[in-house]
Amino acid sequence: MSDRLSLRRLLCGAPILLACLAVVLIATGDFAGFASWRATASLLGAGVASALTLPALLRESRERAAGRAHRNGLIASLAELASADLVRAKSLAGNLPRSIAIPLGEALAPIEVLATRIQRSSVEVAGAAGAVKRIASELAAGSSQQSASVVEITAAMEELAQTATQIAGNASAQAELARVGEQTGNDGAAAVDRAVAGVERLRLRIAAIAQRSAELERRAAEIFGVLALVEDIARETHLLSLSAAIEAAGETGDVGRRFGEVAEEVRRLSGRSRDAAASVRRLLEEFSSSIAATVEATRIGGREAERVLQRVSSTAGAIAGLRDALVETASAAREISAGTAEQRTASLQVVQTLREASTVVQQIADGLRSFSGTARRLEEAAVNVHLLAQGFRLESPSSLRHLAETWVGELQLLLASPDALERRIETLVESRPDVECIFVHDRRRMRTTLVAHSSLAGSVEISDDIRFGQDFSDRGWFRAAATERRGVVTPVVVSTLTQERVVTAAAPFLDGDELVAVLGIDVNLERWTSG
Amino acid sequence: MTVGAYLLVRLGETVAALPAAAVRRVVRGARLHPLPGGGAGILGLEEFAGEPLAVLDLAHLLGGEARTSRPPVTVIAWLGSEPRRDLVGLGVDDAIEVADLETDDFLRGQAMRNGLPVVIVDTGRLGQNVGDAPAPAAAR
Repeated sequence: MSDRLSLRRLLCGAPILLACLAVVLIATGDFAGFASWRATASLLGAGVASALTLPALLRESRERAAGRAHRNGLIASLAELASADLVRAKSLAGNLPRSIAIPLGEALAPIEVLATRIQRSSVEVAGAAGAVKRIASELAAGSSQQSASVVEITAAMEELAQTATQIAGNASAQAELARVGEQTGNDGAAAVDRAVAGVERLRLRIAAIAQRSAELERRAAEIFGVLALVEDIARETHLLSLSAAIEAAGETGDVGRRFGEVAEEVRRLSGRSRDAAASVRRLLEEFSSSIAATVEATRIGGREAERVLQRVSSTAGAIAGLRDALVETASAAREISAGTAEQRTASLQVVQTLREASTVVQQIADGLRSFSGTARRLEEAAVNVHLLAQGFRLESPSSLRHLAETWVGELQLLLASPDALERRIETLVESRPDVECIFVHDRRRMRTTLVAHSSLAGSVEISDDIRFGQDFSDRGWFRAAATERRGVVTPVVVSTLTQERVVTAAAPFLDGDELVAVLGIDVNLERWTSG
Repeated sequence: MTVGAYLLVRLGETVAALPAAAVRRVVRGARLHPLPGGGAGILGLEEFAGEPLAVLDLAHLLGGEARTSRPPVTVIAWLGSEPRRDLVGLGVDDAIEVADLETDDFLRGQAMRNGLPVVIVDTGRLGQNVGDAPAPAAAR
């Protein structure tokens, strides 16, 4: 009894341990270990079968009641378990006596649950890994663009900073020029003030000269008056001398002669007086004319000095305004110079920050590219895990082996009727959006029925060369299904229809032991994992 | 040939000679009082030695143009001959000098002085024509 309990524990515990080991191997990506696990599971299955067979033989020898069929059924069930076909293993276990079927079913149940979860999770993991890969690729691309943009911005900002530096230099030079202009304006204003003062002094001197000239003119007029009196006296004297001469001419003798001499002398004196007066008058007239010219010149000069003074005053006002403008310009130039210097500093700081940001963005881009590669490898690993999980045939929509074998069961009877077979395949291919196409290669008739999903209709041309006469027995999926004699899932290939990754789930049509046909189902990995 | 003393006067561009014996005084032209109806040769009346004295335009009397302004010099002279002679004023532009002139009967009314012709005024005949139309006959 204790031996039977130990054997039962062994039967229950070994598969669980096997399943747990398989999960660990899959989760860690140790697919070589997983293959070893499968071999080990086969050996253990054989061992367990031997262990079970041994008590059954002992019991048969002791009781001679148990039949060989039970032993063979158990072996077959365990063999199916070793092949990871839990559906058949359960089916075969159901034919065994309850004393064996119940513990075997209890042993298979956790494996089935675990494998189902693994298949379901592997789909999710593959989908998530694919999403992560896409997002990582997008992020890497975006980051690369961002990096390029930052580099461009940095280059533009460096040019801007260089321009700001040049502007700052120009502004500084302009400020210096403005300072010189301000100094020149101050000097000019001072010079104009001195000129105004000089012109004012000149105007005052001209006025003084005019005043003196007017005084001289007045004195000359007085001299003219005196001169006129002298001339008048000379003329009177002359007339008097003539009267005396006439008196002398009327006298006779010595008295008349002497009187005439005196009269003549007086006449000559009066003539000299008149000549001297005439000379004085000429000189005085010249003098007066010079004074008049001086007065006129001083009057014109004074007027000109007034005009010059007004102009110089206007010029002084303009220069004062110019000086104020120069002062304001110098102040503005200094402010501009300071502002441009700050701008240059800020630009250089921005450039430095952008360089740092560019480095960070470049690092992020590099990281994202690395992350993208990692995500791609993760997705590949997830797909591999997913395919490895497909090693289990389970009664689950996620199990492609089960799907292929189920559809083989549906199509088995239709092989003899190609039209009915094709119509049924059309129904089946439309039942799952992740199926690209279904094909059945009838080995006996050398005929291939191939139906693509309606979403690909029009883009897929299936020639009669493919339908008739082409031998698919050298294809991997065909050979795997023919060799395994059960449903298989082939490695990932690129679809000739969509140029996307597909896996092929294949299952054999058997007539007894004879392989008559093979069903192939191309499943699009992207749609499968995303759906 | 006769030599006599004459008073040389200027009448514009012309030099005239008045016999010194007929001349009483040479004075500066004084203020003239117009004499209505006096004729073209009478310039007006002026005061001489407290008496009114008719002043004649000598140039006009000698046949020249009548002057339009007051003469600067007045020669007080006797016109006419004894027993009828009148003391009048003769308006001239200037009195030059008293000089001895040689007169020639062949060249009556003219003499030469410093190479220039001098008009000899006949005061005796001139006194007869005072108030009449001027005529060269006044010159001797």
